[in-house]
Amino acid sequence: MTFVHQEVWHWQIATYLFLGGLGGATFAISALIHLFEGCDRKMLSVAVMSSIGFLVLGTIFLLADMLQPLKAIYALTNPRSWIFWGVIFINFYFVSAIAYVIPLLEVWPKINPYIQKIPRGILDLLERFNKLAALTGSAAGFLVAIYTGLLISAAPAISFWNTPALPLLFVISGFSTGAAFLLLLSTFSKNEESWKIIAKLEELDAMLIVTELIILGAYFNFALFLPTGARESAQVLFHSPLFIIGFFIFGLIVPLALETYGIFFAKHTKKSGHLLVLASVMVLVGGYLLRYYVLKAGLFQFPW
Amino acid sequence: MARYGMVMDMRTCVGCQACMAACTAENQTPFWNGKFRTHVEDKAQGTFPDVRRVLLPRLCMHCENTPCLSACPTGATFMTEDGIVKVNYDRCIGCYACCIACPYDARYAYDREDVKKEEELYGKFTSHQQPHVDKCTFCDHRVSEGREPACVSTCPTNTRIFGDLDDPNSEVHKLATSGKAQALNQSLGTSPKVYYIPS
Ligand code: SF4
Ligand code: SF4
Repeated sequence: MTFVHQEVWHWQIATYLFLGGLGGATFAISALIHLFEGCDRKMLSVAVMSSIGFLVLGTIFLLADMLQPLKAIYALTNPRSWIFWGVIFINFYFVSAIAYVIPLLEVWPKINPYIQKIPRGILDLLERFNKLAALTGSAAGFLVAIYTGLLISAAPAISFWNTPALPLLFVISGFSTGAAFLLLLSTFSKNEESWKIIAKLEELDAMLIVTELIILGAYFNFALFLPTGARESAQVLFHSPLFIIGFFIFGLIVPLALETYGIFFAKHTKKSGHLLVLASVMVLVGGYLLRYYVLKAGLFQFPW
Repeated sequence: MARYGMVMDMRTCVGCQACMAACTAENQTPFWNGKFRTHVEDKAQGTFPDVRRVLLPRLCMHCENTPCLSACPTGATFMTEDGIVKVNYDRCIGCYACCIACPYDARYAYDREDVKKEEELYGKFTSHQQPHVDKCTFCDHRVSEGREPACVSTCPTNTRIFGDLDDPNSEVHKLATSGKAQALNQSLGTSPKVYYIPS
């Protein structure tokens, strides 16, 4: 038996997985906030526009890593492949996100004139079905986020990836980065009501981090159980200081502590705002490191 | 319609790597970058003092349940009627999903640099011409003319035995069903069509 590091997918794909999870989750959470908490059009439009930006950027990284990106449309051929579904999910996401964000952009005086160039009939329709777009969009965002894990779990000989825990881990981590990004945005909001959303996001992110810790526990427990490539991969990660310190300590534990402090003790003063910014940035960096290191620790187990 | 397969008799392999050379000449694979469709693993087995050397020639297993084919979004990876797993160069986008999915390290990228070098070396007689993911074809261009794959006809020790697994009179069928030969990593359920007689 030989264990060999996969030399196929590198940081470009890690970036794509990170931006996919972040973009998908940012939109899904924004849409849910809209549905349940009401609509601050300014903030929501910025959030959704950035989530579209994340996914566009992620897609560019993905295409740049291919040998023949100009033929990418062929990827819509084989429904047994996860990439086929990825393309469907991402397009479904782009359509919902754009349909959703157009009516919101009317609040920006500089952009509104361009929006008004769209025929009135279409604008009315988009306005009328805005909540529906929010709903389908949150589904699409969720699918994009979970797809990033499904994609790499289809590897029979890389046992560290070939487990249902991985898509779960990526989707939860993706939503945690999405919540952190929205938290970061909210701290810039001048809206008096924004602290309510901040409090909600803070609770959401803390809950997601706790869930992520539970999944991580189960994941590593599984990986260490049998003498397979998964165990070797786990060992590689345990010996990567940046994974332990960068992701685990500063990407999960410290932000969780800061957020818990924020939830229970801080009175939403300026000082607690700084802590929030710090916690959010740490979660975002941690999310990237997680994907980078999971890819890096992918070990093939060959039978010779 | 045949079901082509191979038996490797590990008792006779001497590790001369003539198969690798024959394959790279036949299929213009990028030897200049150390990329081959077939390899010979050279391993030490056991713990001192009870050690021995094991030589294991390997190539694409042309799996019946084909993980690379399931992972390929474009349909570039396909199986011929004769059970040979191939890549359609025109359709391959080089997304590497197949390379991640293959449990037998049977694929590599024929990248832009390789295409350039190929042109330099072979002029107008190039067979790849564009970047794509490459793998063994069981030399189907030779097989369709009634010849054996290049690695098989080159092997000086007859380690590689090729033929139709469904033909009860073929040597490969007899060896594959003899009980002596085994496929690699059977627990993955890939049903390889390459079998090994252990040394
Ligand atoms: S050995 Fe790899 S490339 Fe060959 S058929 Fe099986 S999965 Fe595909
Ligand atoms: S690299 Fe080519 S053959 Fe492999 S999965 Fe992608 S499109 Fe299919």
